[in-house]
Amino acid sequence: MTPRPEARRHDRRAMHRPLSALLATVMVAAAATLTGCAALGDTVPGCGDPLRLAIIAQSVPGASYLPCIRGLPQGWNTFGFDPSQDGTSFLLNSDRSPGQPVTVRLTATCTTSGASPSPPRAPGVLTYTRLDSISPRFAGRLYDVFPGGCVSYSFDFTTGSQIALMEQFEEAVGLYPRQQLRLVLKQKLGVELNS
Amino acid sequence: MTTLPTPRPGREGSEVTPLITASLRGRRRRPSGEPPPLPRHINHTIRWYLLLVGVAGGLWAGMSVPALLGIITRADLAVLRAVITVRAAWLTHLMLGVNALASPWTTHLVAWGTIAVLVAFRRFRHLAAYLVIVLATVLLISAMALEIGRMRPVGMQILGPWQGYAQPSRPVATLALALVGILYTLVPAGRWRNRGKWAAAAILAAFCAARLYLAVDHPTDQVTALIVGWPLAVVAFWLTVPNDVFPVSYRGGRKAHLDIGGRRGAAIVMALDNQLGLAVTGVDNQLGLAVTGVEPFGLEASAGSTPLRIQVRGPDGGKTVLFGKLYALNHLRSDRWYKLARTVVYGRLEDEKPFSTVRRLVEYEDHLLRLMRDAGLPTPRPYGFVEITPEREYLIVMEFFEGGQEIRNAQVDDRVIDDALRVVRRMWDAGVAHRDIKPSNILVRDGNVLLIDVAFAAVRPTPWRQAVDLANMMLTLALASTPEHVYERALSVFAADDVAEAFAACRSITIPSQLRSLIRADGRDLTGRFRQLAPTRRPIPVQLWDIGRVKVTAGLIAALVVAVALFSVYLQVAGLL
Repeated sequence: MTPRPEARRHDRRAMHRPLSALLATVMVAAAATLTGCAALGDTVPGCGDPLRLAIIAQSVPGASYLPCIRGLPQGWNTFGFDPSQDGTSFLLNSDRSPGQPVTVRLTATCTTSGASPSPPRAPGVLTYTRLDSISPRFAGRLYDVFPGGCVSYSFDFTTGSQIALMEQFEEAVGLYPRQQLRLVLKQKLGVELNS
Repeated sequence: MTTLPTPRPGREGSEVTPLITASLRGRRRRPSGEPPPLPRHINHTIRWYLLLVGVAGGLWAGMSVPALLGIITRADLAVLRAVITVRAAWLTHLMLGVNALASPWTTHLVAWGTIAVLVAFRRFRHLAAYLVIVLATVLLISAMALEIGRMRPVGMQILGPWQGYAQPSRPVATLALALVGILYTLVPAGRWRNRGKWAAAAILAAFCAARLYLAVDHPTDQVTALIVGWPLAVVAFWLTVPNDVFPVSYRGGRKAHLDIGGRRGAAIVMALDNQLGLAVTGVDNQLGLAVTGVEPFGLEASAGSTPLRIQVRGPDGGKTVLFGKLYALNHLRSDRWYKLARTVVYGRLEDEKPFSTVRRLVEYEDHLLRLMRDAGLPTPRPYGFVEITPEREYLIVMEFFEGGQEIRNAQVDDRVIDDALRVVRRMWDAGVAHRDIKPSNILVRDGNVLLIDVAFAAVRPTPWRQAVDLANMMLTLALASTPEHVYERALSVFAADDVAEAFAACRSITIPSQLRSLIRADGRDLTGRFRQLAPTRRPIPVQLWDIGRVKVTAGLIAALVVAVALFSVYLQVAGLL
């Protein structure tokens, strides 16, 4: 006698269930790990998303500017976004400088001794550059100093590609005014950001 | 108490009929749509937990809409403003201390402690479930934190340390998960787990209160974190290591055995009554009285199932004892790993294909019982099997050899030796092999040898496998006698070349572990002596390498390497480093 179609389907399902379950578990775990790692990678708030910038503002309560991502040039990515009560830091990585990401750090204060003034990157901001090495590595620090805070950029590029890379990361990281953020939060959420 | 009359080998047809008339109602067919005796049960707690998971989902969905986020945030801040009105220097000091107690270091310590205990007690299924749930929870928390990107409380001074986005509160979720992990993988269900839940709730309450006081989290950050770390984790443990199938127990014994009390005990009684028409004595499950007619039996000798002694009313109204073996998913998995290990350790010498479902595992044993009875072998009379939970749990029922003694405890005289050797001869003639001949599977009653546990038996086995059965039977008999005497008696049933072949096929790995350890304890070189007595024959190679074994072994090594690499990545992602 021919078994009913649903009985056959049930038999097939039963036969494949353990293998399917195992396969599904492995795939879900692998996908979760990979997407989780990927999701954790690109995490720095963009300058067009002020609600997410609030956490950076809270990390340095007096900072009048907040670092954010204006737009990433081709070959660049961000990772390691770490806001805390001591400040905020994140990393910018270029495929032309593998293994040597630019470290961006917002703190309440910074020491700019030995650094030379550079053209300011925003109104009310003093920009300084300190080079520790020119060849074979182009390494040093860039500082954006403003009332209540300072953003430092630590870079270490191979000499030769440094001009383009410096331009690109300076273009990628913008400074968002705290005052503007206060207005946005008041308007959108009805809350007052600590000054 | 009586036992059912043991039929004379090979003289009876169907063996099931005598007991079917025991119940007036006889067998009952379960109508379509009616739940099985032990349906997969979602208890009230799990339903509530699923509801709470829905609440967390709703909150997250609401927070992705700025207008709703504003309402939620303002409500959160109103609560926090009320909380911080009680701030005082001494209280702040205390709350900072409470907050520091549940630091990431504490959580890591608890998590690693749990892993260490699980490894020490060889609870690998619980360990795998724990690791997967920790990873999934950490990834979920990270993903939601990034998705929502919520700031910390504003408009008030944050007194405690913080890191990352506020929603959901990672420290609260990881602490809850660490505590739930302990409760559901290390603490036995019941009184101790219930006490543990209260203790865990108290710890979490103190921690959450401290963080609210310090204005580190919003209340809703903690609500969603608690839901992820507790209800969601409990549901995950319930799905992966359900307590009724994988109970946490420290009473010793084998982990394969299921608890047959409570709902399962009642389900067994109902299944026996409805499906086989067996009226279990000492039980009135309609009145909810304790099941006394079904009890665990011989647990120490069984790893592949939960053996049971079942009292039923016989056709004449007298009590009769039957033997049952309860099979569940964990037994199926054990069988699968056992067969994989055999394939890797000494090749695919025989059929090592694992069973695809519990039902097929039970069907096979039932089939073998009937086949062996038809072949006139002194194996238990089969009474069929019953469904407890479809595709998950089945109970096979067979004759209980009342009065049968394990051969090592029985008087082994020439009659027993001859009978035992004739049993092997009969298996050879019937074209079957038992594949697990050892003292605990050979009983003696009234001078007759009885063979039990035919679950590993094979039809039309390899000649090598049949020879191994003979060797193991002769070794078992020699333990209670001498090799010389057993060899002499064997020659009346087997040719000398048969015995030579048996011991040419015999290796340490072909001897069941119980028999091997008894031979070791005996001290005599029984195998060597049999080889001296039998005609000389070159050893039969047992290590067979074929492409299948190479593939399985290579696959296993590759899987191990990948697992180690993935585990190191896992530790980073799951935040255990």
